[in-house]
Amino acid sequence: MWCFSQVKGAIDEDVAEADIISTVEFNYSGELLATGDKGGRVVIFQHEQESKNRPHLRGEYNVYSTFQSHEPEFDYLKSLEIEEKINKIRWLPQQNAAHFLLSTNDKTIKLWKISERDKRAEGYNLKDEDGRVRDPFRITSLRVPVLMPMDLMVEASPRRIFANAHTYHINSISVNSDHETYLSADDLRINLWHLEITDRSFNIVDIKPANMEELTEVITAAECHPHQCNVFVYSSSKGTIRLCDMREAALCDRHSKFFEEPEDPSSRSFFSEIISSISDVKFSHSGRYMMTRDYLSVKVWDLNMENRPVETYQVHEYLRSKLCSLYENDCIFDKFECCWNGSDSAIMTGSYNNFFRMFDRNTRRDITLEASRESSKPRATLKPRKVSTGGKRKKDEISVDSLDFNKKILHTAWHPKDNVIAVAATNNLYIFQDKIN
Amino acid sequence: MILKGQKRKLPQEDLELADSGGPVWESQRQFVFSVSLNKYQRSQELPEPSLRRSVLIANTLRQMSLEGCREPPADMEVPEPPPPAGLLHRDVEEDEDWESTDSDVSLSAAISSILTVLDSTIDGSFPTAPRSPLRSLENLSGSSEGGVAWVKPGVRGHSVSYQQQAEPKARDGGPGDVTVEDLFQDIDTCLLERDMGVLGLGGGHPTGEDLLRYLPPFSNLKCLPSFSSFSPLPAEAFELDNLMEILVES
Repeated sequence: MWCFSQVKGAIDEDVAEADIISTVEFNYSGELLATGDKGGRVVIFQHEQESKNRPHLRGEYNVYSTFQSHEPEFDYLKSLEIEEKINKIRWLPQQNAAHFLLSTNDKTIKLWKISERDKRAEGYNLKDEDGRVRDPFRITSLRVPVLMPMDLMVEASPRRIFANAHTYHINSISVNSDHETYLSADDLRINLWHLEITDRSFNIVDIKPANMEELTEVITAAECHPHQCNVFVYSSSKGTIRLCDMREAALCDRHSKFFEEPEDPSSRSFFSEIISSISDVKFSHSGRYMMTRDYLSVKVWDLNMENRPVETYQVHEYLRSKLCSLYENDCIFDKFECCWNGSDSAIMTGSYNNFFRMFDRNTRRDITLEASRESSKPRATLKPRKVSTGGKRKKDEISVDSLDFNKKILHTAWHPKDNVIAVAATNNLYIFQDKIN
Repeated sequence: MILKGQKRKLPQEDLELADSGGPVWESQRQFVFSVSLNKYQRSQELPEPSLRRSVLIANTLRQMSLEGCREPPADMEVPEPPPPAGLLHRDVEEDEDWESTDSDVSLSAAISSILTVLDSTIDGSFPTAPRSPLRSLENLSGSSEGGVAWVKPGVRGHSVSYQQQAEPKARDGGPGDVTVEDLFQDIDTCLLERDMGVLGLGGGHPTGEDLLRYLPPFSNLKCLPSFSSFSPLPAEAFELDNLMEILVES
């Protein structure tokens, strides 16, 4: 039973373009939740401890740090503006008191260090407390500075900038399980970086044809295997997934495994290829499965079986008869993400009208919920929603034609351990929790 | 099935529910084709079109043209032949099945002619050459990845220097030895050929001379790189006054 917990963001009907959330990501412990927006900002929320007064409630997420990650840039050679929109955020595993994350826009990846400061040194010899340099002739004695407590300050500083390695737009970054390297993928190439080295990267996949006129397929997403640091996958606009092993060759243009489901000839249409384009690929936490999202469905693949997925879930099949309109208004090109829960027993993805869907892999039950201000009362249980497809619409159902295609849930995240989910609805971030009985 | 008392709905405006093979289906197909063409052309007018989107639309157009060519020629004098009875009872789910044997000479001819135009190489017979929208700067001079950054296969490092990273090309001469081809190497052709360019299904690599010839009127140019460091270009290609205006505006 999912219930509303919090909502972050402005309530204004007029949504500023810069405030539109473009990525959401929990860190490895779930203590921190990061969002990136079109304005290039990163906002990190921290989970507060449960209050003693309400032990039945999990704690809330409050703003921990906000910083401008990317600024708009201008490519002078091509006379093009590079958007500051944050395409992806990926956390690094925590190794000390500080937190590290990678954030990327279309062209540049940055490694940020988020650290806390709650002490400051006082009693310097060469400068006053307000920072003014002391006259050296007036210093008559030597003192040892002491550390004094101060109000907690969270600082974000860019530690590495990985630039100039992508000709095309970066769509994915993924931290490797070795915690030393990570990959970045654009439309045609995938590069492997070392976190300490910014002036070079290894190109491991290149699907750019010699003649660009022969281009018929692009890379849409890529991810490192959660346990095997030599394995990664990348998906394509033709609905295929390639698994590559970096031990086989320095260049992974040739895949180790090729995942593709044969097309159903009865449902073939001119839009078949477009709706088969994979918008997101995610390994399960176990590393045994992977999940792909195309326009109408979510598929779970067993890495040991390449010829078809083991599970297919229809997200909004009622849109199949609307593909022509969705093509015309460009919605067919929307890129929805998907995510696993901590135990890999459930998956979640977004839809239109601020609906999002959750599928239980064990019980095969699914549920449609809505992220809306109307159902945003504290601890209010979310009511399942249903879209009517037939001629007769039941009460509380919404017809397909009434769906608001401007309200799309593209980005969702599931807490790595608990049943807490974060759903980005345009410029608002909704946090829902599973009720503890 | 219409229940008693239930108001019968008008056929939905959504085009997907029309019967295949009929005139409405024909118009649907043409509609999708024209929408695709419009989308493609509009996306190419953008400074930096989304590659994924362009590829998907181009593939859709290609597929439609292929299926159009596969259909048998029809009697052109029959404007709207009644569809075979069997086709009237198509299920709703088959709305999207475009594989009709119905003829579409006019549509096929249109697609073929457009593709022919686009397939042709850039030559003087066309006032504005068809542009390959999927072509990047890297194809213009014929060089692939450039000699600067790649060390050996599999170990492709890159330099942090911006000039080296952006489409590097080995230059034979010194800094002052700049040919017309060099001048246009780094210009994204989508800026230069805004009026044309639907599908990049063929065509050779335009040389610098060709690009120079096909520069559109200045009002179409968004911006050009600063020419302060380049050698002067032929006067007939453009006028400096107009160029300065454009640079100032951009």
